[in-house]
Formats: sequence, structure tokens, C-alpha cells
Amino acid sequence: MKNEDVKVCVLRIEGTSCEDDMYQAFKMVGASPEKVHLKQLIGQTSSSLKRNIEDYDILAFPGGFSAGDYVRGGAIFAARIKSTIGPQIKKFVESEKPVIGVCNGFQTLVELSLLPALNETMSSKSTAVLYRNDSSRFECRPTFLRNDNRGKCIFTSDIPKKKILMIPSAHAEGKLLSMDPKFVDKLVENDQIVFRYVGENGENAKYPWNPNGSLSDIAGICNSIGNVLGMMPHPERVLTRFTHPDWTRGYNSEEGDGLCVFRSVMKKFL
Amino acid sequence: MIRRNVPYSLYDVNILSATDDELMCISSEMGLSLSLEEMRMIVAHFKKKGRNPTDIELQSLGQAWSEHCCYKSSKLTLKEFIFSIDNPNVLSRGDAGVMVFDDDYGYALRIESHNHPSAIEPYGGAATGIGGILRDVVCMGAQPIGLVDPLCFGYINTCKKIPKGIKHPHYLVNGVVSGIRDYGNCVGIPTISGGFFFDDRYNGNCLVNVGCLGIVKREELLSNYASGPGDVMILLGGLTGRDGIHGVTFASTNLTSTSDKDSKGAVPFGDPIVKEPTIHACLEANQKSLITGMKDLGGGGLSCVIGEMAFGVGGCGADVNLDKVPLKENNLTPWEIWISESQERMMITCRPENVQKVLEIFDMWDVNATPIAKTTDTAHIRIFWKGELIFDMNSEFLTSGPVYNRPHIKPKISTKIDEKFPHVKITNDTIKTLLSDINIASKEWAIRQYDHEVRASTVIHPMVGKINHTGPGDASVLMPVPGRYKGLAVAVGCNPWFTEENPYNGGKACVDEACRNIIAVGAKPDALTDCLNFGNPENPERFGEFREAVRGLGEICNDLQLPIPSGNVSLYNETPGGEHILPTPMILICGLIDDIRKAVTADIKNEGNKLFIIGKTKDEMGASLFFRKFGGEKGDVPDVDSKNLKRLMDKMLKTFDKSLIRSCHDCSDGGLIIAIAEMCISGQIGAKIDLSEIGDLCIERKLFSESNTRWIAEVEEKDVEAFKKIMDSDAIYIGKTGGDKLTVKDTDINLTVDEMRSTWNDPIWNLMGGNAE
Repeated sequence: MKNEDVKVCVLRIEGTSCEDDMYQAFKMVGASPEKVHLKQLIGQTSSSLKRNIEDYDILAFPGGFSAGDYVRGGAIFAARIKSTIGPQIKKFVESEKPVIGVCNGFQTLVELSLLPALNETMSSKSTAVLYRNDSSRFECRPTFLRNDNRGKCIFTSDIPKKKILMIPSAHAEGKLLSMDPKFVDKLVENDQIVFRYVGENGENAKYPWNPNGSLSDIAGICNSIGNVLGMMPHPERVLTRFTHPDWTRGYNSEEGDGLCVFRSVMKKFL
Repeated sequence: MIRRNVPYSLYDVNILSATDDELMCISSEMGLSLSLEEMRMIVAHFKKKGRNPTDIELQSLGQAWSEHCCYKSSKLTLKEFIFSIDNPNVLSRGDAGVMVFDDDYGYALRIESHNHPSAIEPYGGAATGIGGILRDVVCMGAQPIGLVDPLCFGYINTCKKIPKGIKHPHYLVNGVVSGIRDYGNCVGIPTISGGFFFDDRYNGNCLVNVGCLGIVKREELLSNYASGPGDVMILLGGLTGRDGIHGVTFASTNLTSTSDKDSKGAVPFGDPIVKEPTIHACLEANQKSLITGMKDLGGGGLSCVIGEMAFGVGGCGADVNLDKVPLKENNLTPWEIWISESQERMMITCRPENVQKVLEIFDMWDVNATPIAKTTDTAHIRIFWKGELIFDMNSEFLTSGPVYNRPHIKPKISTKIDEKFPHVKITNDTIKTLLSDINIASKEWAIRQYDHEVRASTVIHPMVGKINHTGPGDASVLMPVPGRYKGLAVAVGCNPWFTEENPYNGGKACVDEACRNIIAVGAKPDALTDCLNFGNPENPERFGEFREAVRGLGEICNDLQLPIPSGNVSLYNETPGGEHILPTPMILICGLIDDIRKAVTADIKNEGNKLFIIGKTKDEMGASLFFRKFGGEKGDVPDVDSKNLKRLMDKMLKTFDKSLIRSCHDCSDGGLIIAIAEMCISGQIGAKIDLSEIGDLCIERKLFSESNTRWIAEVEEKDVEAFKKIMDSDAIYIGKTGGDKLTVKDTDINLTVDEMRSTWNDPIWNLMGGNAE
């Protein structure tokens, strides 16, 4: 399959304000992204605007404040999806098509129960939550992530193991928690941990290197099949070196640290 | 007032036979804030018509003739000093100014104030300030790309008594920053620059200035007017309610001890989640060439926007069906609907054949869109309520408003003759006292609450240097068109202390500082937008300050050919008892850089590099931070020689183009030594300074003078020759980078970088709460 034949649905509603950035990321790796409003997928538009989720190869949930995040981050967006095209989304994931959610998109995937999805693709009840940051503040800051995935996640297939990337965070609710006391063990066992926050020299992350207090410094996880990735930091904001906050101090490559996430998933379609 | 016999609320107001006292009583009771002279002009107008006005007609005049809407006090001064600056790169002087970005794109810029609403209700006031400035950019057809918020408050931990009815600075700072954060982050527009200015003279009246930048394809640049008679006017976005009634008239008078209670209803509610899709839909309708004009509903609401959109095209009028306006609650009277400033509303005009297509776009985004009026060729605004004519006024009379030539007294200025120099022994503590002043100290507490990276185009961030050990930057830089390396730099320039002691020099210094910030990142100053915050213009002393500051501002912009395609004036920034703010001309400047890969930041990059100061350090201690902190008085306020500024900017740009400078920072508050300290903090590298080559000033003046047009530059040994060749005697060698300490020869200054970092980093975190880095 040629890169430009890979159709990406960048799903948006009111408040999903990072869709342009997500669109640009897939554009840069040669795919054909389209910004699609949820109403277009659930038939609430004129016929020329209607779209079918089955026609896409990748589904992307951008960051932002979908529907104002008035209940919890992503809760309203997820409820609207579940009550309309929930079964189609489940089918999409079961057919092993890639799904990515960044920041508010990650929150939405957790609310949809597509993550962590320890045993099934989409449980009826969500089993984890992205809770308010320890600082109780919105934190916009650069963070270092280590690729801790052992090979399951298709969004890190092109990233060397243990490689450290600078991918910035910007959220108020990013602390991954679960009621399950064995939550982290299960994630490790299933190879569902994708990215962990680390300090500037790769050491365990304390605040501000871990900006939210997330359990086991987890920044991103995938589902048990490895085709759904959710992460709080924004890879789509560092596609080029020149949006890194410290590039004027010197750099080796003009490519930004976030691009490899999108390049990785494109390998699936080679 | 005589109630008309109709099934809704409508009054005829008897002004034709009213005495002067009664006229003033009407003005005050209806909340019009019009003077006797203005009421008499209205009486004369209606005498000719042979009838009394209705309540809605009088309310409309109160809005249109307010200081906020018609600039009646400031217009003549602005005309004299600012409007004459011409520049072929100005593409539009609409609700936002638009300048050439490159062959295909223009960039939009605008700043305005939201001072009074924020003083009453800081969270909502600041949030709706952001909402309003976004609309100003959108209605040029431009995609907003960056927000800039310079703010002025009393000292966060002030010991001064706060005037009755006024809120404490700590509460205001928290509320305003939260309002900007929640609105700006939610709509997905990065807050990339700003500033904090703390002084007890803002205790009674804080300043919340909000600026916005946008990018627009030049072929999609939109006008703020209808295209002519027969256009349909479609009201978009939020519903109309009782929030935000009399916002502009409230903003055009002094705050009082009861403003808090009386005027809370004047502050509207914001909703970014209505705004965000409204922006998408407006821009989509424009990209599809379906609309002829767009304007936002801000001050004065419908009453201002309809008149201006119709009259601006060449004397058109409009017929309005006011009962069609969608409402939050259904018992609003016609005059309330007409002047409500409810948020998230826009007006677009389009040809009748495109109405349906426009409505479909807004329906897709679930945003209200309602045709409520059409333009006519009558030069009259007529309002119908369920078919009955309730308002009929000449649009010229309505929109032209009075203009005043206010009396002014030339302000007394501070000079060297009266200078009282403080006797302070220069030690590490002297430097630490300045570094920890909250005007200098780190603003990271606020900056990291704002998303400054969304839209993935922020190239130079507000904090620069090593990750999680950052220091202050000069200008932020955006790369607004994906795939192009052309950059837009943005910075703020303001020094209200200079402006207080010498308004004319202060006005010039604000522009100089703004230019310095742009140059420091390697960009070329291109245009600016100004928010002129001053006191009561009816007081000749206050108006004298305004006039002198604008004269300074205008002069330097004329000399540099720097256009001011948009701006805003905020007067009456006073509290009961006549306490007025520092005269505060806030400058938001934009610069262009052809290749952002050549941009430079202020953090010292390496050990063993040479440091230079560019520009002359003079005996200009007036209003310096050193004087303010240690009890100095008077003294010469730094002047600007615009020819010298232009010459040095050109030279600096040459050195940037050849990539000869590794780091660069402008000298401003605190003088040369604070600039160097900040560069050490962000670079985590010390410096050995020797100021002997600067000349024969005393060491205090060398260290702390705030002379304009100066920068510190770090140059690698291998580039020194090429650098000196361009800069010649304008660059003076002052030392070397290296080690973990800042030392200054012939002084006791010997400070570790870590000590400077914590001194500078912690104060605001400690005052506002939260974990410091």
C-alpha cells in the first residue's frame, strides 16, 4: 500500500483544538489525513458530508478540550461516540487497524474503555482514569519519554528500545490511576507500557520531569493487541527540531523527536 | 418616560422639554454616561425630527458615543502623532491590523484592554478579554495563531491599604491568570508572550491587556463591512442575554467604591467551547468566498456592529428585525437586546443567494446562525419589533460621535539636576535584591499554566535555555505556515515608571524596548499595535501625560517607519479618591525573520566565549529599578535617539544573518548586570565581567543605568573578528563566559549561578503557591 493511500480519520468535535497539528503529523509521513467531525460519521449531516469509519485505515483522536471537558477529560466525547458508533469503533479496533489518542485523545480512549483494555478490546466500564495532576495545575512543559515497549505497540516499531525522546506535555489531568492494585504489573506483563517519563539523564522522573505524578511514571500505554496507543505528551508538536524548546543550544538532525511515532505506524502498511 | 401602549417594554423619553438637571438625571438613571453637552446635541437632533427618542435610541447613542467606542478624547491626539505613519506593507487597518507576511500570506495583530471588567471579576474579565481579541483577528478572515497578555497589578504582597470595593492583587493575579489559561488553552491558541508589571499604583485599577496574532492568505483577507445595499446580516455564535449590559459605558468612567456591586452585570460570561467551533465555521465560510464582511460583537453589542458594518461601506443603512435575535432568556426588553455584550457572537454579511450555504456550515458545527437584518441604501438604521418601527436613526449621526480637544498640562519631568543618588554599597545582596524583585523574578508560575505550544508552531518559547533550568526570553517566534521557515517574532515593550517620570521619553522607550526584544532573537521589527492605558482624560494633568507619551511613541515610529495598523485606548483607569495608574502605553510588536533556523536565544551557550555590550551606557538613572529599590530620586529618564537605534538594529541584523552571535539579550529593567545574570541563569554558565572599557561612569551607573538601545551578545572566539568588523566601536568587550559564578571586576560581586537561579526563580512561586522547579 502506498503511503498516500493510507487514509487517516482525524476525529473532531467542538473543542478538539489540536486537530490541525495531528493532521499535519500524518501529512508529514505521507499519509492522507482528513479532519472528520463526529456528526459526519453518525449521519447527522447532508449526504455529501457523510463518512463511514470503515473507509479509514487509521483513527486519530487529537488533543484539546472536547466539549469543554466539563465532566472529566474526554468523557462527553466518549459518551457521544459510545451511544452512536460504539460498535463500529470496536470493530475497527478488532480488525487491528491503528488508533492513536494524544492528551485529550488519550483521555477519550480511556473513557471509551479502548484503553487500558487489559483483557478485551472494549470493556463496558472504564477501568482506569487520567486524574488531576499532583500540582493541581495545568502544566505546559517539555518532558523526556523513554520507549519502554518491548515490541507490541505498532506506534513505536521504528523507535529503538529505551530510546529517550523529548516530547512536550500540556495538560491538567494526566495522572494515570486504576482501582486495580496489580494494574502496573499487568501492564508490564502484557507489554502495554509504551512511554515512561524520565529525568534529563534517563533517571527515574520526579516532578517536574514527571509533570503529573502518574503511576510508575507512565506517559503512554497501548492495548493488549498493540494497535491502540494513548499518550499524554504531544508527539505532533515536535515534528521538526525547531519546535523543541532548546534547539538553539545545538542539534544533530532537523527532524523532531515526535515524528518517529507517526513513521512507525506507517510501516504497518508497507 | 412614557410607556408606549404595546405588548412589550418600550418607552418614549421626554428630552425635548427637559431641563439641564433633568437631562443629566436621564443620562445617569439610564446608565448612558453622557455629558450635558452631549445630551444637548441629542436634544437638538431630535428637535429637528420633531419627536422624542425611544429608550432604545437613547441607549444606542450612549453606547456609540462612549469613550470606548468613539475615542472622543483621544482621537485628535492619535491623529496628530500616530495615524500619519504610512507603510506600503499595511494590508488592512480593520478590527485588527494586517501586514504583509510573505507573497502569499498576511499576519494580523491587535491588542486591547479588558481592565475594568477584570478589576471587578478577574476570571471572567480576563477570559472574555481573550474571547474578544480572538474575534477581532477572526473577523479579518485570519486564523488566530498566538495570544499575548501583558498585565499590571499592585504588588502581590502589598502592605498598602486596598481601596474600598477593590480586590486584593493576590486575588486578581490568580483570577486573571486562571481566566486566560482556561479560555486560551480551551480554544487551542497558544499564549506565547506577555508580561507582568507590579506597582502599588495599580492597586486600585489593574490592567489586563490582551493581544492576538493571526495568519491569513492574502486573497482571503476580509473586510469588516457589508458589500453594499441588499446584503443579509447573519448573527452567529452565542445567545444574547442580560450579561454584559453597559459594559462600554462602565469602562468609560472611573471605577468607584461600589463598581463591584453596581457593574457586575456589565461583565459578560465567556464560553470557549462555543468560540472554538465558531472560529472554524467563520473561517470555513470565508475560505469558500460565501461572505462579504465580518465583525465581532464586542463593546456596544448589536448597536455598534450593525451601524458600523452598514455605514462603513459608504453610507448604507440597515433594517433590523430585533425580535429574531436568539435569546438566553425570553423577557429581555428591546433596548437590552440591542446593547447587550453577551460573548461569543459575530456578525457576517453575505449576498442573499449565499445565505443558505452559510447556514449549512454553521449547522454542521452546531453554532447558532440567524439572519436578523439586511443592508439598505437609506443611510438609516431602522429597528422593527414584531413589525412595529421602534428605532429610526441616521447612521451618520449615530456613528460619528463627538470629538473633544481636551485641555492638557505639560507634565513636569524628572531630571539630573534634582537627582538624589542612593548610597548603597554594591554587594551580592544588591544584585539579589534586584533579581528577586517580582518585576524581574521568574514568571514561570504563570507561563507554564498557559499552553504556549499548541498549534505546533512555537519556535522560540517564552522561557529559554536548558530544559527545566530555563530563564527569561526576549521575543517569542512562531513558524505560522507549515513547511515554511519564515518566522513571526512577537514581544512586548513597556516601562510605566519611565513614562511616569517623563512621559515623552517613556513613550519612546517603550518602542525602543519592544524593538530591542525583536532584534535580540534575530528578527526585524515590522509593525506594532498599542494599548494606551491612562487615567481620567478630563483631568488636564492626566491628559498631558497621555499626549506626551503618544507624541514620543509617534515620533519614534515615524522615524523608524514602523506602522501601527491597530490599537486601543483605555482611559479612566482611576479609583475613588483620584488615585490613578502609572501611565502605561503597552506596546505589542511584531518582527519578521526570513529563516527561523537563524534565530537566537538569550541563554549563554558555551564556556570561553566573549561577551560584548552593544550601545552606549549613559548616566540615565531616572526611574531605574535601582533607584526604585534603593530610594534614589529623580535623575534623567533614558532617552532614545531613533537614528542611533535604526543604525544599531541594522548592524545587529547583519551579524545575525552571518550567525555570528550565539546568545543575545536586551538590557532593560535592572540594567546591564541583570541582563547578564539572566543569561547566566538560563545558560547555567557563569561569566567574568570587566566594565572598564565602557568609559568613565561610576560603577553603579555602569551596572544599573537603564539606557535604551543596548544588548549583551555572546560571540565565539572564532567569530570575534567578523563581529567587530560589522559592529566597530558600537560593541564594547565586557568579559568572558565560563565557570559557575558571575563576578564583576573591582566590585564585591561574586555570585554562583545556582544562587542567582533560586533568588530569581522562587519569589512568585512562593507568593502564589506551587512547587518551584
